[in-house]
Amino acid sequence: MKARCCDKLVTAWAWLSGLVLTASIATLLGFLLTKGAGTLSPALFFGDTVPLDALLLKRQVFEGIFPATVGTLLLVGLAVGMAVPVGIATGIYMAEFAAPRTKAVFGLFFDILAGIPSILVGLFGFSAAIFLHHHFSGQITPCLLISALSLAFLVLPYLIRTTQTTLENLPRHVRMTAPALGASKLQTIFYVLLPQSLSGIVSGIILSIGRCAEDTAVIMLTGVVATAGIPASLLSGYEALPFYIYTVSAQYADQAELMRGYGAAIVLLAVCALLFALTAFIRHRLADHLLYGAR
Amino acid sequence: MRSQGLVQGLLAVAAAGSVAVTVLIFGFMIVLGLPLVTSGTFFNLFTSSWLPNEGLYGIVPMMAGSLFIAGLAMIFSFPLSLGCAALVAVLAKGRVPALLHRLVRFMTGIPTVVYGFAGIFLLVPVVREWTGSGSGMCILSASLLLAILIAPTMILFFTDSFTGVPKSYLAAADALGATPVQKFLHVVIPCSWRGLTTGVLLALGRAVGDTLIALMIAGNATAFPGSLLDSARTLPAHIALVVAADFDSLEFRTLFACGILLYAFTTLTVVLTRRMVADKGGAP
Amino acid sequence: MTRIGRSLYGRISISILTLLLIGVAPAVADDLSPFAGQAGTIKISGGTAHIPVMKAAAKQIMQRFSDVRITIAGGGSGVGIKQVGEGLVDIGNSGRKPTDEEITKYDLKMFKWAIDGVGLVVNPKNTVASLTTAQTKAIFAGSIHNWKAVGGADKAINLYTRDTASGTRSVFWKKALGKGEISAKANVVVSNGAMKAAVANDPYAIGYVSVGHMDESVQPVALDGVTPTLETVKSGEYKIARGLYSNTKGEPTGLTKTFIDFLFSETGQGLAAAKGFIPVK
Repeated sequence: MKARCCDKLVTAWAWLSGLVLTASIATLLGFLLTKGAGTLSPALFFGDTVPLDALLLKRQVFEGIFPATVGTLLLVGLAVGMAVPVGIATGIYMAEFAAPRTKAVFGLFFDILAGIPSILVGLFGFSAAIFLHHHFSGQITPCLLISALSLAFLVLPYLIRTTQTTLENLPRHVRMTAPALGASKLQTIFYVLLPQSLSGIVSGIILSIGRCAEDTAVIMLTGVVATAGIPASLLSGYEALPFYIYTVSAQYADQAELMRGYGAAIVLLAVCALLFALTAFIRHRLADHLLYGAR
Repeated sequence: MRSQGLVQGLLAVAAAGSVAVTVLIFGFMIVLGLPLVTSGTFFNLFTSSWLPNEGLYGIVPMMAGSLFIAGLAMIFSFPLSLGCAALVAVLAKGRVPALLHRLVRFMTGIPTVVYGFAGIFLLVPVVREWTGSGSGMCILSASLLLAILIAPTMILFFTDSFTGVPKSYLAAADALGATPVQKFLHVVIPCSWRGLTTGVLLALGRAVGDTLIALMIAGNATAFPGSLLDSARTLPAHIALVVAADFDSLEFRTLFACGILLYAFTTLTVVLTRRMVADKGGAP
Repeated sequence: MTRIGRSLYGRISISILTLLLIGVAPAVADDLSPFAGQAGTIKISGGTAHIPVMKAAAKQIMQRFSDVRITIAGGGSGVGIKQVGEGLVDIGNSGRKPTDEEITKYDLKMFKWAIDGVGLVVNPKNTVASLTTAQTKAIFAGSIHNWKAVGGADKAINLYTRDTASGTRSVFWKKALGKGEISAKANVVVSNGAMKAAVANDPYAIGYVSVGHMDESVQPVALDGVTPTLETVKSGEYKIARGLYSNTKGEPTGLTKTFIDFLFSETGQGLAAAKGFIPVK
């Protein structure tokens, strides 16, 4: 029968798609893991420098990915640290205080910001750095600070959107109880609504952390370099894991460096997997725990 | 009450600041690209090829590269994503849907550079050997990898719209004796067309805006690509490669033309997407 | 131990230690000692051929003197010259001599500390080991597009070239190709290291790379009978040579000057030689 045939075809196609997707990802990740598993060791991070010296910043590390890891951590910390207050504040404004017209217009802008290709944010950061260099201070060049600012612009829409959506999706009865007891709008927001939205907001923050850690296009244009050691100041060049991986893939000097590239890719994957697990954990367990103690 | 005004003011400032950032980025593009218009070469950019030796800085080959790579990636990815979403939301039972859904969500977190890295050392040699010609760094390789990259975005959107179909419709279809596939084809898909379109638009935006996959895998040649196995350069990869050039020269300023083009495309995608969502909100 | 014994033991150890230090570290101590007591950052960018030497020098300096920091970026000769001219970096490396226009516009001071060649390379699996200038021009222009036309396998030639900021490209284009056309269909790579990696991974590739970067992963191709090696560049037999320059804006001062002096010192020149270049001294 025609219907049966159609049924079978569609089902087969659906299963085939699932299979192709799973197989592709398994192949890609499996390839990386098998090739790079052997490199995971302190030597990957510290090269031939003594780990303790490197961690205490007494000695620089050469031929290791420690500087790149530190660079990524600093970058993420700075960028998220700058974006979180502004993003959450904007999200609260959009959900609680904005008039419908304002909300629509601002919402359009934030969606556009979310959709801008990261290379454009990088181009903007680079141009802004050059502009400041010419007109404000010769000290300003593409550097850690400029990269962090550009990344903050990149992740701002994620924070705004998750905060706004979480607040808007709170059940009506939650919004009604506090005012019924006499709380002002501010009190309701800060003592009732925000704590209830914690899991959503924290998910947004984790999403931003992941985005900052993996981004390459923005940092490529705004100050990351191939060799810099631990950055001495906010206005200096720095290394980062994603850029390290990109550089090694394009121009590895020898097998040892290529293997370090595999190792770095695994480390970055591990970081992202960790963040993913953290999000799942928060979504399922943590919010309840924080609010209501052990159940 | 006064403190409410203050806090509200602060929040409003934060919001305005965020909007300002969006405008600022566009503003920079326009202002820095202005010399192109005044020197009269602006429209040349969109019609000629990239021949720096002859003073021609046309970005037509890059526009073509972006179009072909993103387009081909969508062609590969759309059926794949639709099938996976069907599997997750409608057709499979037991643990498979949940596991696949979790895998897809995990995939959204995988860094693009890691895809690119695996692509260079795994996919490129394979494509080179299978097709027997070319270096493996071509439109085909980049599209295949890009398809895997954007699939999770589409799958998640599609799945959400499939599960959002009112249960009463599904019950009605069941009552008429429809098989799961018939339900899927005749009820679920028509009901979710807004979600489908939104997912496609967002994935397209992501595909066009992606820098690394094309930069690492597509070869970056400056010629107009003639076949799938030709090396090509996309607009974002072009920006990444040229940014190192002199930042006062005409060559550098052409990057802002690329930027304006990408920005305009993004805005169009966003406006269309919002139109979809807004209509849905309005309909009963 | 008695006091006499301890002091004798002590004196002997100190003498041995001193002899060792004098014997082992003279060259290093002499050439690096100007860095002692200095602190700050040196920003270097530009030519990618210079990077191995820059990295080795940075490692030696930073390991001895933790107050000195050196950041190294690539980008190509054009980038190096522009960035040092604009004051974005302290030292801009270039694999070609800056043009007169660049020198006057940016007030550049040039320091040539090594000589290098630019040679054609193919994959080690490729049987083609020699090409004439005419064939090379035709290959890069795209008119010869199969290896069998030059005596190789029946496979398409995969062209690799560098970006426009590259000094290596500029030298190759002028001296080997006689300013001939480079096909727009060629794959573009962004550094000498990238060119080497690309050709090493693609059995049907052809590209051009700094002689100092050549190793077993790629096979040099003789041009008009002369194979590009360290010796042929040194003797002048291989004509496609270029100097490796480090440029500064105006006269270098402080840490930058110390670094440039280090490049010309015995240790520095030794590093250049170790990385496959020809030291000028």
